[in-house]
Amino acid sequence: MPPRSRRYPMSKGSLPTQEVGGEGLPPQLTHVRYGVVVRPPYYHWNGERFESAHLISVDRTRLASLPGQVDVVVEGDFVGVVAESIAVARDAAKQLHIEWQAFCSEPNKTLKHSERAGGELRYQASHSVASEQRIYGWPSRMRWGNHPGWIVADGSDHQLKVWGQTTTPVALKQDLVRLTALDASRIELYSTDPQQISNPAAGLGRHCGDDAAVDAALMSQALGRPVAVWLDARYIQDVEALGQAQRMSLKAELTDSGEIARYHYRHANSSGDVAAVALWLSGRATEPAAMPETVPESIPEAPADDSDPAPLSSSFLPSYVLSPYVFRDQHLSARLQQPGQTPNSATLIGIQQAFARESFLDEVARDSGQDPISLRLRHLKDARSIKLIESVAKRAGWQVPFKKPSDAVPQDLLQGRGFAFAQLPDRHQRMEAGVRSAWIADVAVNRVTGDVQLTRLIVGQDDGPEVDTAGLQQTLQERILGEARPLLGQAPGFDEWGDGSDAPERGVEISPSTLVKRDSPAVTQTKTVSLRPASSDVLTGAELSPGVAVIANALFDATGIRFRQPPFTAKRVREALKEAAMEGAAQQRFAKRAPGRRWLAAAALTTVAGATAMAWPWKSTLAPVARPAPNLYSAETIERGRLVAAAGDCAACHTSEGGSTNVGGRAFETPFGTLYSTNITPDEVTGIGQWSFAAFERAMRHGISRDGSHLYPAFPYTAFAKTSDADLQALYAYLMAQPPVAAEKPTNELSFPFSVRSLMAGWNALYHDPTPFQPDPMQSELYNRGAYLAEGLGHCSACHSPRNAMGAEKSGDAYLAGAFVDGWEAPPLNTLSRAPIPWSETSLFDYLRHGESALHGVASGPMAPVVAGLAELPEYDVRAIAHYVAAQMQAPTGNDEATMAGAEQRVTKAAESSPGMEAGERLFEGACAACHVETGVPSFSRASTNLALNTNLHSDHPDNVIQSILGGVHADHVPGIGSMPGFADSFSTTQVADLATYLRARFAPDKAPWQQLEKRITDLRQPHHNNTNSTP
Amino acid sequence: MTLKLTVNGKRHELSVPPQTPLLNVLRNDLALNGPKYGCGLGECGACSVLIGGMIARTCVLPVSAAVDHDITTLDGLAQNGQLDPVQQAFIEAQAAQCGYCLNGMIMAIRALLNHNEQPSTQQIRAALEHNLCRCGTHVEILQAAQRAVVINAAAQQEVSHE
Repeated sequence: MPPRSRRYPMSKGSLPTQEVGGEGLPPQLTHVRYGVVVRPPYYHWNGERFESAHLISVDRTRLASLPGQVDVVVEGDFVGVVAESIAVARDAAKQLHIEWQAFCSEPNKTLKHSERAGGELRYQASHSVASEQRIYGWPSRMRWGNHPGWIVADGSDHQLKVWGQTTTPVALKQDLVRLTALDASRIELYSTDPQQISNPAAGLGRHCGDDAAVDAALMSQALGRPVAVWLDARYIQDVEALGQAQRMSLKAELTDSGEIARYHYRHANSSGDVAAVALWLSGRATEPAAMPETVPESIPEAPADDSDPAPLSSSFLPSYVLSPYVFRDQHLSARLQQPGQTPNSATLIGIQQAFARESFLDEVARDSGQDPISLRLRHLKDARSIKLIESVAKRAGWQVPFKKPSDAVPQDLLQGRGFAFAQLPDRHQRMEAGVRSAWIADVAVNRVTGDVQLTRLIVGQDDGPEVDTAGLQQTLQERILGEARPLLGQAPGFDEWGDGSDAPERGVEISPSTLVKRDSPAVTQTKTVSLRPASSDVLTGAELSPGVAVIANALFDATGIRFRQPPFTAKRVREALKEAAMEGAAQQRFAKRAPGRRWLAAAALTTVAGATAMAWPWKSTLAPVARPAPNLYSAETIERGRLVAAAGDCAACHTSEGGSTNVGGRAFETPFGTLYSTNITPDEVTGIGQWSFAAFERAMRHGISRDGSHLYPAFPYTAFAKTSDADLQALYAYLMAQPPVAAEKPTNELSFPFSVRSLMAGWNALYHDPTPFQPDPMQSELYNRGAYLAEGLGHCSACHSPRNAMGAEKSGDAYLAGAFVDGWEAPPLNTLSRAPIPWSETSLFDYLRHGESALHGVASGPMAPVVAGLAELPEYDVRAIAHYVAAQMQAPTGNDEATMAGAEQRVTKAAESSPGMEAGERLFEGACAACHVETGVPSFSRASTNLALNTNLHSDHPDNVIQSILGGVHADHVPGIGSMPGFADSFSTTQVADLATYLRARFAPDKAPWQQLEKRITDLRQPHHNNTNSTP
Repeated sequence: MTLKLTVNGKRHELSVPPQTPLLNVLRNDLALNGPKYGCGLGECGACSVLIGGMIARTCVLPVSAAVDHDITTLDGLAQNGQLDPVQQAFIEAQAAQCGYCLNGMIMAIRALLNHNEQPSTQQIRAALEHNLCRCGTHVEILQAAQRAVVINAAAQQEVSHE
């Protein structure tokens, strides 16, 4: 534990100091400022054009109250705010009042993109495939970035320097040239992530590091000062807005024997890269002039006996759209807007084409009942290719169908194997002399979490550079599958779980150590490394070209779902699996459903689910099941479940004082009587060992026990209903994997009529909404993640929202408006907060993460176990909750100078004792002052929050103050939180009242004295015994 | 659950409930009887030790809070057979009646001097304000504290000359 004074508010300056400059960075960066962009409510790249809501006006009047200089950069529809610190910049962005013109699409320019491309379509067996047509897509941005970090641009004078992360430096430089109109030689790029320079995946496409760099450059150029922008998962918004960059449509006609007679390939919008968002918004990007299709639509039929595909690499077509296969009738076309403009784009288009073609051939093979490898061999004439494929297939033990090892593997893992092949032209665009590359990959898909793991990869290469299989595997895992994986500590989806290793997303200002990766030996000398074009590195990226398709094909083999656009993130896979499962269920109910009308089935299912929900209250017992087999769930799923349990803090309520975890028996006093929590260990008689997942889900979402009886809403199923399916499954897996403990729970002591459980049916109809959580598309990922956790698993409102006479939480203005639980006040978490110093997001985070905020006090009472539970969660999740609660309070991001000055003033004012309360003063001096008054001696056990800032002393209700005096403050499970002894046995009721009155008068002089203290103290004194642990 | 404590430069691994008061662990498990059990409510100061050079009242401090910190008790204040200047001063000033409170008095003055080598009389009084003595030895204790400032300064001088 750091020294107790670490967050003492008065001793330190308010905002983090900026330690910019130092070795490795140019001296002018000492004056770096911090920028935040405000994107329009709607912006979208539709494949050919960029469209967005247009800016009408920006009102800056509310920025005047913010500390330091705040600049607003407006250009076209680009809006950015630049301030002295990132916290102020974020506040300013919130305070800015911007009027946007709603976007209306022009109907005459509707594009032919209504076809579903790149979507996940379920495999539908078809035995007579005469012709097959499919569309594949490639995203404009693969992901938001590599890791959270600062992107700095210094656009002073007649040059531009950018420190950032990019995998496509050439494209980024082009964008910067367009932005600044500077000569390319005057623009210098530096990497803050030296590892990525040699990364072979550079060819897979851009990420939002480029967008952040252009954001920073635009603001820096406008202000003539270095500007830093924070790149993190929030940029996923740009990934979504930029959507699909490339569209590949393929068509094949088959003969009766299954041979492909006609083959069409059309590559639309092959512009290579979509410009950075800021370029479009500022109007400095021009829409690419649609070029006519300069390549011939059709290629003459290849002579059937010609084993040399060389004629195809004639001057008709750029070689990277050529196919290594020989079909009787072949039509290849590509509409290239700026063909070959960047060294990267040819490789990238080659990879895109290989992805589409190899996925397509796999689909054709499976739909026509052929082995995917045999189908390819039928259309290859090149002897070297055939030999390579055969040897790779042999090495991998390729057989059809893939025999899946089912026994040893957890049953929530789906296994699959896929094949892909590519032939690449050499440097002189000659196919024959080029590299042949054949891949076989095995994947394991976690059906609960959606995680895809590459379990085996076999790559055969003819005439190419040595292949680093391990490197490729890692690259594919991280770059293609990795975007949403917990592995990387990023959490783009509202129900993704990070590992807590993500960098702090705020409060950390730039210093040399944040600009370069700490542990990288490459930067010890120079601190920055100049970017070279990725293509000059070890791998050109072309070697990867079968890599994307091989995973798509293996994924299909494992799941029966065809992914027609990368990346294959956990979130997408999970959603597709869920959709497929729903469709499967719907298919059972509606056998005559029209093929292909998927939305119809989904709508019908919703109705059925609704009807079932209505029928549930009168439904009976769900059949008992045997406890799930130990290998049903993978370690990964169980670990996810552990995090879900921590977020839901199951153990806090389901563990009695001194009892074993989750065996229940803890008493809850309610206005309706006493309730006891249940045993949720997998004991088959007294616990949930015989509960199926369906029963578990019904309890969590609808408050109905396995035996059909109703649960009381002291169990917050009203909140838990919002939990996502994947999280519920993982929680079930986790609970079932725990050791069973037999323990009968005491019988509830409820007064009539509340003892009649079935009355809860009516209650549920009135007050319970079992709809799962829906993210708000207008809010950030962080907000939605926070909302998901706070409204669902975290069940904040169960304690912090007042309840009506029927025990139901009030909503609307009363949401999080404060309530009473177990004799403690759960203070308001909305705008009704009575805190003497307004809460900020930073303070909320400190409180939730560390159990104390220097400006508000420590977590105690029923909140202490909550903080202990949150300690299990990744930092990102706790930040997300703080962010969400701050939004409910309309609280600022950080604590500005005015706030700190206000706190200081309160502390100074309370330094003197108030007159006329000698009795209370004597008690305070004797019992409290040693820890609560500053004596000039540095102390480890002194309370770190001054009482003048204590939220409880400023509340309308004395309850928490009385509770703290009587029972003390204990947060045993939160390391580092102080401990206060209870005085229930040493103070009389009158003395407690005298003390509370004195505390209120001295430390909250602006609040009215509390009334009827003695009565309240008598009421609350009941359960307290001597709470002091210390005995001689 | 095992807790690791560093007391007077020695490392200990202890199997105690994490919420046990540090005082109980020091006296009962480690047999360090410098800190005394007085009020048990953090009011009198008899149980004080130094944690990371800062004063700490151990009867109300859970042992888990002291993990990863250097703890110094009165027993460990003397270095190489040489009494701490504050201990020396209290002997010279004969500042004890029953002596029960002296552990807290000495530790508080030590913490004060760690932070402020030349405290004024006023600052010494403030530092000792919440340390209780029932024998009424306050005058001698204040004299001892003044003496401690002088001996401490001399000792510091010596160290810097070496």
